[in-house]
Amino acid sequence: MRKQLHRLNSGGLIDRTQALCFRFDGKNYDGFAGDTLASALLANGVRLFGRSFKYHRPRGLLSAGPEEPNALVELRTGARREPNTRATVVELFQNLEATSQNRWPSLGFDVLSLNRLAAPALVAGFYYKTFMWPARFWEKLYEPLIRRAAGLGRAAAVEDPDHYDKAFVFCDVLVIGAGPAGLSAAVAAGRSGARVIICDEDFRLGGRLLAERRQIDGRPAADWLAAILAELASLSEVRIMPRTSVFGLYDHGIYGAVERVNDHVAVPPAHQPRQRGWRIYAKRAILAAGALERPIVFPGNDRPGVMLSGAVRAYVNRFGVLPGREAVVFTAGDGGWATVRDLTEAGAHVAAIVDARSEINPESKTMALRVGARLFAGSVVEATHGGQALRSVTVRDASGKRARLACDLLAVSNGWNPTLHLTSHQNGKPVWEETIQSFVPGRLPPGLAVAGSAAGRFTLAEALRDGARLGREAAVEVGFAAAAADPVPATDAETDGLAPVWRVRGNRGKAFVDLQNDVTDKDVELAAREGFRSIEHLKRYTTLGMATDQGKTSNLAGLAIMAEQVGKAICETGTTTFRPPYTPVAIGALAGHHRGKDFRPVRLAPTHDWSREQGAVFVETGQWLRAQYYPKPGEQDWLATINREVLATRSGVGLCDVSTLGKIDIQGSDAAEFLERVYINGWKTLPIGKARYGVMLREDGFVMDDGTTSRLGENHFLMTTTTINAAKVMQHLEFCHQVLWPELDLRMVSVSEQWAQAAVAGPRSREVLRRVVDAKHDISNEAFPYLAAGEITVGGGIPARLFRISFSGELAYELAVPAGYGDAMMHALMAAGEPYGITPYGLDGLNVMRIEKGHAIGTESNGQTTARDLGLGRMMSSKKDFIGRLMAKREALVQADRPSLVGFRPVDTNNRLWAGAHFIGIGRAAKTENDEGYMTSVAYSPNLKHWIGLGFLKNGPTRIGERIQAVDPVRNGEVEVEVCSPIFFDPEGTRLHG
Amino acid sequence: MRIACPHCGLRDVQEFVYLGDAAPQRPDGLAATEAAMFEYVYLRDNPRGLLEELWYHGVGCRAWLVVRRDTLTHAIEYVGLAKSRKAGAAA
Amino acid sequence: MAEQAKSIWRPRSAWAGIVEAGQIGVDGKPGVTALTLDDMGFATLIVPPGSPDLASATKRMIGLDLPKKAFVSLSSTHGVAWAGANHWLLFARQQAGFVDLLQSFSDHAAVSDQSHARAALTVSGPRVREVLAKGAMVDLHSSVFPVGATALTSFAHVHVQFWRTDDGPDGPIFEILVPRSMAGSFWSWFAASAAEFNCRIDRD
Ligand SMILES: [Zn+2]
Repeated sequence: MRKQLHRLNSGGLIDRTQALCFRFDGKNYDGFAGDTLASALLANGVRLFGRSFKYHRPRGLLSAGPEEPNALVELRTGARREPNTRATVVELFQNLEATSQNRWPSLGFDVLSLNRLAAPALVAGFYYKTFMWPARFWEKLYEPLIRRAAGLGRAAAVEDPDHYDKAFVFCDVLVIGAGPAGLSAAVAAGRSGARVIICDEDFRLGGRLLAERRQIDGRPAADWLAAILAELASLSEVRIMPRTSVFGLYDHGIYGAVERVNDHVAVPPAHQPRQRGWRIYAKRAILAAGALERPIVFPGNDRPGVMLSGAVRAYVNRFGVLPGREAVVFTAGDGGWATVRDLTEAGAHVAAIVDARSEINPESKTMALRVGARLFAGSVVEATHGGQALRSVTVRDASGKRARLACDLLAVSNGWNPTLHLTSHQNGKPVWEETIQSFVPGRLPPGLAVAGSAAGRFTLAEALRDGARLGREAAVEVGFAAAAADPVPATDAETDGLAPVWRVRGNRGKAFVDLQNDVTDKDVELAAREGFRSIEHLKRYTTLGMATDQGKTSNLAGLAIMAEQVGKAICETGTTTFRPPYTPVAIGALAGHHRGKDFRPVRLAPTHDWSREQGAVFVETGQWLRAQYYPKPGEQDWLATINREVLATRSGVGLCDVSTLGKIDIQGSDAAEFLERVYINGWKTLPIGKARYGVMLREDGFVMDDGTTSRLGENHFLMTTTTINAAKVMQHLEFCHQVLWPELDLRMVSVSEQWAQAAVAGPRSREVLRRVVDAKHDISNEAFPYLAAGEITVGGGIPARLFRISFSGELAYELAVPAGYGDAMMHALMAAGEPYGITPYGLDGLNVMRIEKGHAIGTESNGQTTARDLGLGRMMSSKKDFIGRLMAKREALVQADRPSLVGFRPVDTNNRLWAGAHFIGIGRAAKTENDEGYMTSVAYSPNLKHWIGLGFLKNGPTRIGERIQAVDPVRNGEVEVEVCSPIFFDPEGTRLHG
Repeated sequence: MRIACPHCGLRDVQEFVYLGDAAPQRPDGLAATEAAMFEYVYLRDNPRGLLEELWYHGVGCRAWLVVRRDTLTHAIEYVGLAKSRKAGAAA
Repeated sequence: MAEQAKSIWRPRSAWAGIVEAGQIGVDGKPGVTALTLDDMGFATLIVPPGSPDLASATKRMIGLDLPKKAFVSLSSTHGVAWAGANHWLLFARQQAGFVDLLQSFSDHAAVSDQSHARAALTVSGPRVREVLAKGAMVDLHSSVFPVGATALTSFAHVHVQFWRTDDGPDGPIFEILVPRSMAGSFWSWFAASAAEFNCRIDRD
């Protein structure tokens, strides 16, 4: 095993018996179970983790947690490669592979770090200014250059091979964060019997307790932690979810979370998801997300080796790693002194303590002496030195005197900001709290409480107290009896004494506010000078607070510098609003199972397998997959297939599935009255055993849907709708019944799924049906004429419904059987039709035949056309009220020159037509003012042997015989067409009645 | 959001379809004027605060609901059946 | 139904070509068991508001109480589940005789036969709630969804009605009805969701 030079000999929450090897930038290293990628690399002495976004500056670790702005890596390889992964939260696993980002050709030698020389051109707003002119340079030069230079990691270019889950979970109390406050809350709520979920983004529960050397009830905090975790595990209604980030808070107690189920292994075990997106429905929630430590803005603050003081303690105490051997601690409060203590105890030498406060308490002075550190009171670090790793710092004291101190670690302590992001997701504005010099949650959304550090109460004692109280209260609020409360445990003393330093001015090097976006203090000043003073403008102008970390370590400093620039207090300058997600979430975790073929449910007709056996090509129609056409071997193309299907149907008999049509069973003594009100035409006169074509409008007068409705009994109708509109029509009918006319006696239910239905069309269709319909039913033309509808039996007693309706213009029937018999029906019809050459046809064949007959549907009823436009104006009854009646009469909708339905044929019959073409008078320019309408449907008619079209033309029906241009600039330009009747085939309708 | 359907209980908003303001009443019958119908079809207040709205529980019991919702906070004060409202008004 | 028995037409299960008996997912003891239910009869019953006699008719004809709220009444041969306002789903474990039963119900309610409209299955096992939680936006905890409860909702964007029958040795048992046309998509989701727990599949 390779030696981990910065690993302490003992201590830390790592499993030294479980060594893990991993690769970073092609080099092999060892770490331990319990490490993060960051801690393991640090243990191996790696300081340089990446190059910065804009200037390609060398960057190392700033933090040990989710706020990390610098140490973003590409994790894994190939299809599982994931860019912009924070090394500080990546749980180490065997054979992990990671690559640094944003460097070329290598991390150590980066050509584009020359950007640093061109830095003056890359100030705030640079992309708004520099690359404005000339425009053509943008595409050819600037964009490729910027894309190479800037940006973060590379996404995998191939499909993600892993499965993702999405799941829903309900609870009484959701606890977000499993530090001392969250654990106390969970146990308090759980003891009362409440259903509790406690989530933490870390793989180990305990929060800051894992990183600190603290005492609870006079014993190491680890003992308390072990006891409380054991109790939580024993409570059956408590669900503990490590590796789970709650990323969003939504209305009415809905929380979004992502569980990294298998991110800590190279490849998820078979059948397990990589990640799982959770939607958590919680009656109450307690935010115990802790706090994030804030850096100090000073020149050279981005050099690898400059690290947050709390992160230093985390690496030492939790991971057993020494981030440096010769340290300087730069602090604005008591926090830095805990780092001095822990570093020293771990064996590092603290060379100096730079405390920005001028008053240092006697105990601290004693400590400095004891550890052999020089103490600089009222002083600041004003520069750092070294190439890709820190070698020394320049300290400036209150008198302006400077000292240069050698060191390989600079720990920075400047207080903490509550992790209050979720409180802001429902428009809650954080409010400034002077005593802690930070923002705390403002008005909270209903059901949410905030405990401990997340509320700005930073001490361990407060965390324990808040958690226990809020956990108990939440359980009581949702109806559980309060459990007996344990006394809040005692903790060791802690002080703060913070006087934050927002910025140190200096003249050597850049001082970064936002490390991830390379925004400096000078950029903020520039924004202020140029008038981008609102904090939201500052963000957009400088990009401060954007990208993967969303400004977790930079927002407040940016605000503070802006406040200073405009001469206001921080609280007057504002704060940015946090929006979901709190942390980056993979789209896969949001989609879960629903991607690729499972993107949405697909509906298959009960005859689907039969169509597949027949070689059908399927097409999506809404949620349905419908047979489009049935190619036969040797057929030259799609058109040859359609032509065969159409000619076979018109000359013999064809068979087409129509199961997907919506079918609504309507019963009740007011059923006929109801139809009168929803359809434009009359229904009361429809005899039992007859079908009628109906058109329904929206209330605004435009066509909503059409179809046939049959009267099965005095008070019993069966409505059919188009496939696409079935659900919409059902909703509309329920609206009409429940909202408009609840007094009607009416009972409606969809029976679309119950019936398999097939159209049997063509001159031989009756002969085919005679061999399928049971002999006792007379289906002769006399007994079962056009538009007859009846309940019959088929195949020796199977209940069925037969309708003599036609979409193709042929003698035709639709036969419906219970869906389970759909497959049998198709086989029976094929067998019965064999002597007549029965031919399956699909949607395309159907479409050709309906265009030949001038049936305007689908593309014609596009939501912008009226019944009148479709040539159905005379169907509108004037004797009754119906939905859409008045609005359809509006002046603009009844003007004579409003485009209405006519047919078109090419003057030169060799020309094909295109749907979408616009009609322009011959010799006139193709301009909007000359537009006279548009083509909606076209088809090649194998019966007429040329293309035909339907469309809307101004004064259409009065212009039969006239010629006009169909203009389609994106396809075949202009075709001269002749206006004709929309009924191209059998205009007398003799075939229908045959 | 979640809506407490009087039939089905508290359900995710994904189960519902939104229509809009519940106040407009359809001017029924042949005597209705085009102006009244125009108002019914198109003209809506857009209040900041409480609004009674129509929602359809399409993925549940298929009931049309009247939901009194604060358009600013999404807080829901009341949910009832559209059907009983009309019946109540008539009675 | 006597006539139907003579027919040479054979009904096809809604699960045909979709579900095969066997085992999916990880090895070991099944965490979930799915049993497809073929040959069930279903019908919607709708009455005008306030109509009193469906309840007594139901009691008389199948010996079950008509549930007033979102519950199901079950016997070994029949069941009736609340399915919306004034709206119930009547079902029989076998289709034989169902048409005649519907005929007698038609005096008391608007009856629409839905026997072929639904693909039905029973799911159970110690991990069954975890599987359903991957698609169900309703709370299945016993305190909220006890034995006998039913809900109309969607699982993974597929409309369903489901209910909880008496518990079995492995915990809760749910019966789920899926629109026939979406049986394939439903199963694709269910199988993917159950695989991590090991799922045994039986065909009725
Ligand atoms: Zn409902």
